[in-house]
Amino acid sequence: MPLDYQIAEHTLDNGLRVIVSEDHSVPNVTVDLWVNVGSRHEVEGRTGFAHLFEHLMFQGSRNVASGEHFSALMAAGGRLNATTWFDRTNYFETMPRGAMELALWMEADRHGHLLDAVNQENLDNQRDVVKEEKRQRYDNVPYGNALIDVYAAIFPKDHPYHHATIGSMEDLDAASVQDVHEFFRRYYGPNNTVLTLVGDLTPDEGFAAAERYFGPLGPTAAASRGPVAPLAPLSEPQRIEHHEDVPSDRLYVAFRLPVDDCAEFFASSLAMDIIGGLATSRLYQRLARREQIANGVSAHAMGFVDGVSLGFISIDVADGCSAEDVETAACEELVRFAAEGPTEIEMESVLAQTERGWLSSLASQEERADHICHHATLQGDSGYINTFLDRLGEVTAAQVQQAAARWLRPESRAVLAYLKQEGDAS
Amino acid sequence: MTQQEGVAQQEGVAQSESVIERPEVSAPEPWSFPEPQWSAMANGLGVVSYDIPGQYVISVRLAVPMPLEREPREREGIATIMARTLDEGTARHTAEEFAELLERKGIALGAGVSESGLIVDLDVPKRNLTEALDLLSQAVREPAFPANEVSRHVKVRLAEIDQERAQPGQRAAIEFIATYFDPDERASRPTAGTKTTVSAITPQDLVAFHAANVVPSGATIVVAGDLSDLDVVSEVERALGSWSEAPAEVLEPREAARATDAARIVFLDRPGSVQTEFYVGCPGPDRGVEGWAAYPVLGFVVGGSPNARVDAVLREDKGFTYGIRSGFRPRRRGGMFLTSGSVRADATVEALGLLLDILDKAREGFTEEETRAGVDFIGKTAPGRYATADAVAEEAAVLSLEGLTTEFTTANLRALADVDAAALSTAYDRFVTGEWTVIVVGDASLYAEGVGGLRRGEVTVIPA
Repeated sequence: MPLDYQIAEHTLDNGLRVIVSEDHSVPNVTVDLWVNVGSRHEVEGRTGFAHLFEHLMFQGSRNVASGEHFSALMAAGGRLNATTWFDRTNYFETMPRGAMELALWMEADRHGHLLDAVNQENLDNQRDVVKEEKRQRYDNVPYGNALIDVYAAIFPKDHPYHHATIGSMEDLDAASVQDVHEFFRRYYGPNNTVLTLVGDLTPDEGFAAAERYFGPLGPTAAASRGPVAPLAPLSEPQRIEHHEDVPSDRLYVAFRLPVDDCAEFFASSLAMDIIGGLATSRLYQRLARREQIANGVSAHAMGFVDGVSLGFISIDVADGCSAEDVETAACEELVRFAAEGPTEIEMESVLAQTERGWLSSLASQEERADHICHHATLQGDSGYINTFLDRLGEVTAAQVQQAAARWLRPESRAVLAYLKQEGDAS
Repeated sequence: MTQQEGVAQQEGVAQSESVIERPEVSAPEPWSFPEPQWSAMANGLGVVSYDIPGQYVISVRLAVPMPLEREPREREGIATIMARTLDEGTARHTAEEFAELLERKGIALGAGVSESGLIVDLDVPKRNLTEALDLLSQAVREPAFPANEVSRHVKVRLAEIDQERAQPGQRAAIEFIATYFDPDERASRPTAGTKTTVSAITPQDLVAFHAANVVPSGATIVVAGDLSDLDVVSEVERALGSWSEAPAEVLEPREAARATDAARIVFLDRPGSVQTEFYVGCPGPDRGVEGWAAYPVLGFVVGGSPNARVDAVLREDKGFTYGIRSGFRPRRRGGMFLTSGSVRADATVEALGLLLDILDKAREGFTEEETRAGVDFIGKTAPGRYATADAVAEEAAVLSLEGLTTEFTTANLRALADVDAAALSTAYDRFVTGEWTVIVVGDASLYAEGVGGLRRGEVTVIPA
């Protein structure tokens, strides 16, 4: 049975899609904006730019001073941030109802008139901040660059997902004020944006407020390109080895997956969970519990829009055990799963755990707004949150097996191995 | 540059007709923390429930007071290993069977340990609450601690210790408590134990520790979520009503002593680091202090946002960091004021000097404007911060281990009305005396000398 979160939708004349989900349980409103631009749109020599640009959105606009977006909204009881990812950029704040209009006014100001405030000084400052973000999250921690290598191994050069959203230091250094102007003019505008309002308001109130603040903006974004051609699974295994001063050996076993929002992607995602994500997953049971050659196993499926998605399994090898043995065993389990498919109990388990995870993620207004905006922006479907579990429930065990047999074969894997340096004392 | 400014100016002229006035903010609607229902079972277990309509995943927390001091000195970490093995085999099920029973019902069951006690957490879709409480009861009352599962979790913890040491932030935190607290204090050593103490833990130790400590008397179970058509007390009674063990020994909480030489700088040498991690602290209050409401506000004003005092300089002006955060961390008795984050390696010396200056200068006082912003942030974000079953259950469980209820949360939100700039200054001055314990994790060969040159305390360099 579908969930019944209220969803109302209206498109302004300038192309801004506005979605309102009325929920009076808390006297708050979440304002969530998704712009259909991410690192997949970056060009060679400008990796990391979409994210750097997102930082500049907090440095002031025509009527808002640098830093005021944070300071004014937090002082009004707002919790806010922004994120950039392969497919998109989002900006969000959860406000007391009485401060919603201030948030919309400030969002419209920066989404319409950012360039009035962009200058070399704030570009240089946020470039430095972003470089520290990269050092903190990637460069100064063990295994920190793992996923950057995985993307590069799984997706061909020049593919939208070949490079990570954080980009490279060289490209961040190369970004200019001129780039900021061009990027804003091309990608930012109501006709490339979805606004979702969740919380203590009616659809009419939400649509009227959106019209008041965003209505005057012109449809300035250029037409977006269509999705790129689909990719098939890797035709032969790829391998990268790092011999480093890491605390323990770790393997990332990655695969291409089908494009998001189709039964085959859902099936491959369920297969990933059954193989490596559940506490009863095949790999955890064998490698961690029975053979005790791994300390931990996790699996993730990341849905993307540009013709392909990504799945990866991460395995921490137990001290004194061989990464090679672990990889061999993991490949055996992949072959076995592709041949047998899931058991009834595995299907029951993965659906039950996915249901709980989904309901938990809809429990807060801000996460609900994020899901609504995500699927409205990238898949066009503003009602996804209500129908997802039913669509997932229609996936059969046979479809899960077929997805694994096509996408999760050992010969289609890319392995990134971190191996403890010889002679390195733990 | 000139050309770019021209572009911006042009656009400003072209669209200047569309000026929309900045809207006023109206006062928030009245809100109060969800009201609990209370009861107590004959075995001494308290039952607290929060009905939060629309929260379809029920969050359950079982909080069992268990001060870490009860761990034998040579088996430290036993409470953590116990928490991790409660569901790894029980009287009725093997570890694999138990995991399968949980997953088929969409149950997430976990457990963790703080200095105050054990919290077992359970999330489950509403329709499976009965089965979930039964499994929670089996895990808590009938764990079998099978030898192969215990040895596995010991090995996993040993590997985790290596992982923690390799992460600069966690490495700094471990060294901080070792430097800050008197070495005789349990608080000076990691909650989850060290390699020596964890390696010594046996199944027999766990059986004995569990029997002595995991008892219903004094424990609290919190159930939060959409409770319509549910009789929570009966559900809990059915699962845990027959649980009866003798009460555990009660230890009167006391404040862990700070080391006599705590006010100094320890530089952990991590050659080749591209960033330097700081972890800076001094004493702070526990929740029992008069005027606790001021302390979360202080954390926000000093280091809680990109525009707070620390990041206004180190991030937004200097570009040295992605973000540094400050906050007051209450313990059962006493507490700490902590600031932590990382900076670009070649800015180490300047950044540390600036950071300590900002923390010290705050003793000169706060403006009414920043006070108002902090009070409003803490107060007005509360409805959203406590909107989910998960957040409410967690708050209630954590407070229960301190002998408090969520009336404490409600009273503090009310008390914010009286927090002004003078109150902030008084609160800050009461604990912050400039006697900082400073941990630096970075490349000592390049920056230790410069840090010494700041003359902010004796510098000890040790390998990370």
